[in-house]
Amino acid sequence: MEIRRIAVLGAGRLGRGIAECAASKGYDVVLFSQGAGGQDALRRIEKSLDRKLAKWAITESEKRLILGRISYTLDLKELANVDLLIEATIDHFYTKKELLRTADHLCRPEVVFISTTSTLLVSELARSITRNDQLVGLHFIPPVPDVPVAELVVPESASPEAVEVAKNFAQRLDKKVLHIHESAGLVNPRALITLVNEAAYMIDEGVCDAAAAELIIKESWGMSQGPLEMADRLGLDLILSWMEQLQEKLGDRYAPCPLIRRYVRQKRLGVKTRLGFFAYTEDDAVVSLEEGEKEEFEE
Amino acid sequence: MIIFVLNCGSSSVKYKLYDMRDESVMAEGKVERVGQDNAVITHQSTGKEEVSKTMPILEHTTAIRECLNLLTDPEHGSIKSVDEIDAVGHRVVHGGESFSDSVLINERTKEILESLSDLAPLHNPANLMGIRAAEKIMPKTPQVAVFDTAFHSTIPPHAFLYAIPYTVYQRHKVRRYGFHGTSHKYVSQRTAELMGKNIEDLKIITCHLGNGASIAAVQGGKSVDTSMGFTPLEGLMMGTRSGDIDPGAIFYIMKKEELNLHEIDSMLNKHSGLYGIAGVSDMRDIEKGIAEDDRLCRVAFDIFINRILKYVGAYTASMNGVDAIVFTAGIGENTPSVRDAVCRNLEYLGVKIDPELNNRRGEDLEISTPDSKVKVFVVGTDEEVVIARDTVALL
Repeated sequence: MEIRRIAVLGAGRLGRGIAECAASKGYDVVLFSQGAGGQDALRRIEKSLDRKLAKWAITESEKRLILGRISYTLDLKELANVDLLIEATIDHFYTKKELLRTADHLCRPEVVFISTTSTLLVSELARSITRNDQLVGLHFIPPVPDVPVAELVVPESASPEAVEVAKNFAQRLDKKVLHIHESAGLVNPRALITLVNEAAYMIDEGVCDAAAAELIIKESWGMSQGPLEMADRLGLDLILSWMEQLQEKLGDRYAPCPLIRRYVRQKRLGVKTRLGFFAYTEDDAVVSLEEGEKEEFEE
Repeated sequence: MIIFVLNCGSSSVKYKLYDMRDESVMAEGKVERVGQDNAVITHQSTGKEEVSKTMPILEHTTAIRECLNLLTDPEHGSIKSVDEIDAVGHRVVHGGESFSDSVLINERTKEILESLSDLAPLHNPANLMGIRAAEKIMPKTPQVAVFDTAFHSTIPPHAFLYAIPYTVYQRHKVRRYGFHGTSHKYVSQRTAELMGKNIEDLKIITCHLGNGASIAAVQGGKSVDTSMGFTPLEGLMMGTRSGDIDPGAIFYIMKKEELNLHEIDSMLNKHSGLYGIAGVSDMRDIEKGIAEDDRLCRVAFDIFINRILKYVGAYTASMNGVDAIVFTAGIGENTPSVRDAVCRNLEYLGVKIDPELNNRRGEDLEISTPDSKVKVFVVGTDEEVVIARDTVALL
């Protein structure tokens, strides 16, 4: 079956990124989200495309074409018309399970499901649906349009054909697919939270401020974005929840640094509250690292 | 002999059917938006009404099959059966160093073409798709590949090598290839014909000025230099491409604007040229802007002309003289103001054009005055007929 129309469940950062990336590669995308999230997601995708336009990465007509391929809906019945389903909702086992079950009823039987979960086990999710041989784990890493790798997790139940579908999809999105063993936290989130946690300890202990930790880590290894900005963009509440889940599954070395708990308690969640390790403008840009520091003292 | 000429892009297919007894066009058409539910086919058989329909066409095989259906349609077509087609000529953008002339397609050719896709990632894969699709539908009909780069394979090393470490050329074949070869070849031959002279004895500068633009120095019928280089980005100012730019400026821009490779590539290919300066990429809009005293349209026009003048001067020098200058393609054929602005600055070569002839449209003609030391021509380019001729020659 040729895949032309894909469903993306969840309009968070990951879902939006996948939608934007898939639409720019020619797929028709239907974004499913609860509440008023869909309209907002479209606006954010447009904003992301505007940033690309401002950097000459796309043209005005390409932007219109990409946006034209993305629609959003609240009505899960539309799942009957899609050729591939990508689940990119929050890593909450029961919510995900319920959603996948509903989709299982609504999608045509041959449609392959992809889960982007990074902290839950795909094989456990697969047990909750009838098409368990058609669920594959594929973790895209935000910002999805810019990160050229994706982590592939193949549960034992998955058929080779379904794996091929997932791989082809990722490759068409220009992602290098790396097959990793099924394990909570995969590679990217697990490595990231270790870095973030360690940086948080250094800040908490007064070894350095956030700006210094960020710059040293970022510049030392030639990263395009440092771990603290990455954490702020993902949301410190999400980072904290990852840490807690990994602590539960893998042990105390993932125990969150108290500083992160404190920030989350203070609703200092990163980009979405305009303040995390750093401060952010209305356009989601980092206020210069020094200014971020100033705000910290004013608090 | 009937030849089917195919030009497959990533989302389009253009075709022409030739009766090679007199090189007459029996039919022509195109499919746009291949890969979508609302692809559009436009077809016209000579002497019949144009037909156009919208339908889902998801890949090239279906697109070509639909074209052939129209060609053999009792009402709109021009042949009874696909079997009447003697051969298919394919336009292929990049022949690399492997192909210095058109070739009959076999398994080996396809393998080499596949390996060249790196050099022309936007075009060669689409050309190959067209070849595979045509083979599937007409397995017994010979297929020929005609390359955009082939005519320039005669450029000598001193003109095709860049002055960078030689190992880069050895490892990655980074060098000048040149493009629009089929067009430069056709218009130079046609010019010799119009001059009534043997092309072996002529030094011709061919200016292919379309949305993409390049100039070639053709000495004795062979390309000895051309303005496009490793990619079609080098050389003249184009609709949306920058043409020549100091590589040092690119590094500086990337640093200042924090651009990655994709972003700078897109900036230079899609956001530059006439569009980058004036905000419009079509020469007709530039002319309109000039008429309305738009300063940036004026500057864009002047840069465009200046680049052409530099190349004409350079190629005159490298050939040690020039007998004829030819204008072709969209802008070259249809914009008298461009030809006029160029020729007025070539007085030092003894170029003189007749304003009245320069304003004529729609025919191949000499526009220089009888006493002009260098002849100037406008020639309508016809890449398809060259593809058809090359195809016949290989059968």
